[in-house]
Amino acid sequence: MSSSVETRTGGNRSPGGRHNNGRHPDLARIVRRETHSSRAAVAIAAAVLVMVLAGYGLLEAAVHAIGQPPWLIEPQVAAEQLTALPAGISPLLLGAIGAVLAMLGLIFFLNGIAPGRRARHTLAGAWHEAGRPAVVIDDEVIASSLARRARLAANVMPEQVMVVVSQRQVMVNVRPTSGVPVDGDALLAAVQDELDQMALDPQPAARINVAPSGVVGA
Amino acid sequence: MNSTPTLLNRVLLTLLGLKLLAVGALLVLLATVPAVADWWHSWSAAAWSAASQAFDATRFPGRPESWLWIVVALVLLVVVGLMVAWIAQQGKGRSNLLVAEEDPGDVPGDVRIGGGVAEQALKQALAGRPDLASASVTTYDIKGTPALKIRLLPRQGVAPHLLAEEVAGLVDALEAVVGRKTPVLIHIGAGARTRFGRAERVR
Repeated sequence: MSSSVETRTGGNRSPGGRHNNGRHPDLARIVRRETHSSRAAVAIAAAVLVMVLAGYGLLEAAVHAIGQPPWLIEPQVAAEQLTALPAGISPLLLGAIGAVLAMLGLIFFLNGIAPGRRARHTLAGAWHEAGRPAVVIDDEVIASSLARRARLAANVMPEQVMVVVSQRQVMVNVRPTSGVPVDGDALLAAVQDELDQMALDPQPAARINVAPSGVVGA
Repeated sequence: MNSTPTLLNRVLLTLLGLKLLAVGALLVLLATVPAVADWWHSWSAAAWSAASQAFDATRFPGRPESWLWIVVALVLLVVVGLMVAWIAQQGKGRSNLLVAEEDPGDVPGDVRIGGGVAEQALKQALAGRPDLASASVTTYDIKGTPALKIRLLPRQGVAPHLLAEEVAGLVDALEAVVGRKTPVLIHIGAGARTRFGRAERVR
């Protein structure tokens, strides 16, 4: 039974034309979607805002259509007040309302056009071969793994190492124990070795920052 | 991984943002620049008289109300419906079928393997690991083909590439059992449980 399974997976492993750049095209799309924000939360907020406004307009229009008194304000009165602006309202209040609306619009607009990259890296190298899973890693996980390696290489306590991982740079901050010097080059080599083993995409450059003052009693 | 319409989200957010920005800027200019107020009076008075003429022309015979209000109400109803549809599109795409194929053998019928097979098997295989705070497996439908998402929350200090390598071995074993390759995404993330939990010391 196991031999038949073996041949079947062996046959599926190299279908040739279905794979794009060694990787399933669906998988490349999935990775792109996982490393970029989908804007779902902001979209829901915007939809709720439009729904509330449209709902209020719907109520007033329906009430007006059947000849009932308005709920908050008669649409015709509201329109006449709008045409009379800036009269009828204090300029400070009008400016404040305008500023709030413009700010809200700017938030939505920037959410719409900004690239929205999330703090994540993918694994490259051998992971791009056909039939292998795609791996997406939060930068926080990479940072904690590098911090462990740097802590062992520098022989300090976990609290003395802080690692910041960004898209193209890894910053390792070490505060040495007072009286025990830290070898920056060896530390950089250790961190670089861990990074090379990970084979991240995009590949960040490692930098070490050894604090000039030490920690007493660590 | 899910089928959230990211392009639609961005287009609609950009349009709404531009509109709000324009209205807000107009209000600020009205409050501060008198010349803009003059322009606004002439423009809005013309627009309002045209609108009220339209409302006057569309009165019900013998009644003061215009049937245009019913049209306005219907349009707004459609807008609300579209917004509900937009919200409903977010985060869709879960499925519960891992394999659905016609059986080529002599016995008539299809073969279907539920996503629960992969989910339970992988969860069970990952359950006892000391280096994981939690693991979850979900099946998604990517344009008609099933795909698996494995979300792992490792404890602090775990090397993510080694963890991914081991989980990929488990996935290979699962695919050998199911007899079919599925696209798999392994997401190694961080959450509150890993941030404040104890660090992994064994590795």
